[in-house]
Amino acid sequence: MKTGTIISLLTILAFSLSMPLFAQSGSGIPDFRGSLGPRSSFEPTKISVEEVKYIGISPINASDTVILKNCAAILRNDIDFSPYFEIVLLDSFFMRHMELQEMTLLGWGWMGSAYVIRLEAEFPSENLRLTYRLYSTSTQKEIRKQKFESNKLYYRDLIHEMANDIIKFLTGDDGIYRTKIAYIRQFNGAKELYISDYDGYNERQLTNNKSINLSPAFTPDGEFIYFTSYLDGYPKIYMLTLKNNNIDLIAGYPGINAAPAVSPDGKYVAAVLSKDGNSEIYLLDRKGKIVKRLTYSWAIESSPTWSPDGKEIAFTSDRTGSPQIYIMDAEGTNVRRLTYEGKYNDSPCWSPRGDRIIYISRDRVFKIYSIDVMGREYKVLAELGDNENPHFSPDGNHIIFSSTRMGPSELYLMDLFGRKQQRLTNKGGYSNPIWSPIRK
Amino acid sequence: MKRLSLLLALSMLIIFAGCRKTVPPPPPEQPKVTEPEVKPEEKPAPKEEPVIKKVSESDFMTVYFDFDKYNLVDSAKRALDNNATLLKDNPDLVVRIEGNCDERGTVEYNLSLGEKRANAAKKYLMDLGIAEGRLQTISYGKEKPVAMGHDEASWAKNRRDDFRIISQ
Repeated sequence: MKTGTIISLLTILAFSLSMPLFAQSGSGIPDFRGSLGPRSSFEPTKISVEEVKYIGISPINASDTVILKNCAAILRNDIDFSPYFEIVLLDSFFMRHMELQEMTLLGWGWMGSAYVIRLEAEFPSENLRLTYRLYSTSTQKEIRKQKFESNKLYYRDLIHEMANDIIKFLTGDDGIYRTKIAYIRQFNGAKELYISDYDGYNERQLTNNKSINLSPAFTPDGEFIYFTSYLDGYPKIYMLTLKNNNIDLIAGYPGINAAPAVSPDGKYVAAVLSKDGNSEIYLLDRKGKIVKRLTYSWAIESSPTWSPDGKEIAFTSDRTGSPQIYIMDAEGTNVRRLTYEGKYNDSPCWSPRGDRIIYISRDRVFKIYSIDVMGREYKVLAELGDNENPHFSPDGNHIIFSSTRMGPSELYLMDLFGRKQQRLTNKGGYSNPIWSPIRK
Repeated sequence: MKRLSLLLALSMLIIFAGCRKTVPPPPPEQPKVTEPEVKPEEKPAPKEEPVIKKVSESDFMTVYFDFDKYNLVDSAKRALDNNATLLKDNPDLVVRIEGNCDERGTVEYNLSLGEKRANAAKKYLMDLGIAEGRLQTISYGKEKPVAMGHDEASWAKNRRDDFRIISQ
């Protein structure tokens, strides 16, 4: 009797939780498009990933067992990272209470999961072959099955590829699980450029000039990084080629050469030069030749960021006496002020969706805000400790930033609503994070 | 023993203070630029000597700024007046003014702010008659703090223009 009520209650709960996102199409696949407005009132869909089942013939060794354990954990982490989804974990108390020997689709459904992923693994020679089966708990049917195979050394990439496939199938959007982040790490007085997977794994050092390297920016094809460096004593803009780590000088005009931002079509670089005696934003071609000076003011102009259509540039200016965010057309015309709240607003980053700009605002501490591009409505996303350099993921669903909220400067991640804030690094000295585009 | 070291420290202080404050219009003898430097092994402790004639970087006073500002407050102007005297008295001296910021705010904005600070000092010195060619500038933004704390006391020390001697 008691158990029965709980079951029905949970079932109702499960359905009511998943309902808002279930604009059911015939296949039982929800339509997520358009579900992310400026509000964050929706509930993420719950989903479960079971432990990997080994289906090979020969007995499995210890290291392969660890790999399979990790695979399930990485996939859970990937899916849980999406603002659309939330992972439901196995709950032994719940199972005992329900007198379940092992978790069934029905059981997962009772726990609120709309979907269940089951994984089967084999190890043909040095490879890992992993198949996922996606089930809907409401219909109790398998709705997708995909096989992935790679050298088992690269099982993290294989899982990220699988997560991309699952997200693409469920939401229609490209997943960001194979994207990279680049950032600056400080030690022994130097600041060097690094790159890693989006989840912080597979870190690689890109520069080693024992100097100060700053403000990285990816090209839209993801193959180059523009950045500022003091490697010859003065701040100049360089371009690093990721496939061979070559570094080419792009802009070495007198004074400051800084804050490069590559246009969405990859043809131009907006950057800050002070060759005329004062920081102004210039349009350069990708080799560093000046195409046009965009701003004219006695004040500081800094931190350009492109709109995703390439028609506008947002930037920081202190022309009214304090730094504020402005937007201009990419030709430098039609300048209008975006932020009016707060005495110190800086570090704008334009959302890949085009509708919002995130920035930092000083209010005793530096907080991360999000404002719509018309300047009508803004809200705080992160307000714990000092936060810096917020940067969007290429799908606009996530934000990476640095923060000293725990003392040392570390990288943090959150979703576009400021939820799921998590620390990514733990060694201190991390700053200036950027996110790579999705490489096709 | 204690007394002696105290005395020594005191006399050092006097020498130091003397060389820092007065920076006298060089007495009859010209600053001997061409002469080789005093060899350290010959004179281990220059006690009562009127020390070196050459200008050293510590003779220059650091110029400090308010948060997010690059205008020169009175103390900043006094520091620059001192530095201008040094430059006038040593006409071959070429310096680099290095603008710096505290850790708050972005790398990019502070890079520009640091340059504004360096340029503010440069302009002030030019107005006092120092030739532009003797005044190089660079901004380090917030990348080269001298105080590592995360409080106002440290920040105040980091919002500054340092003077570096390029040639003399």
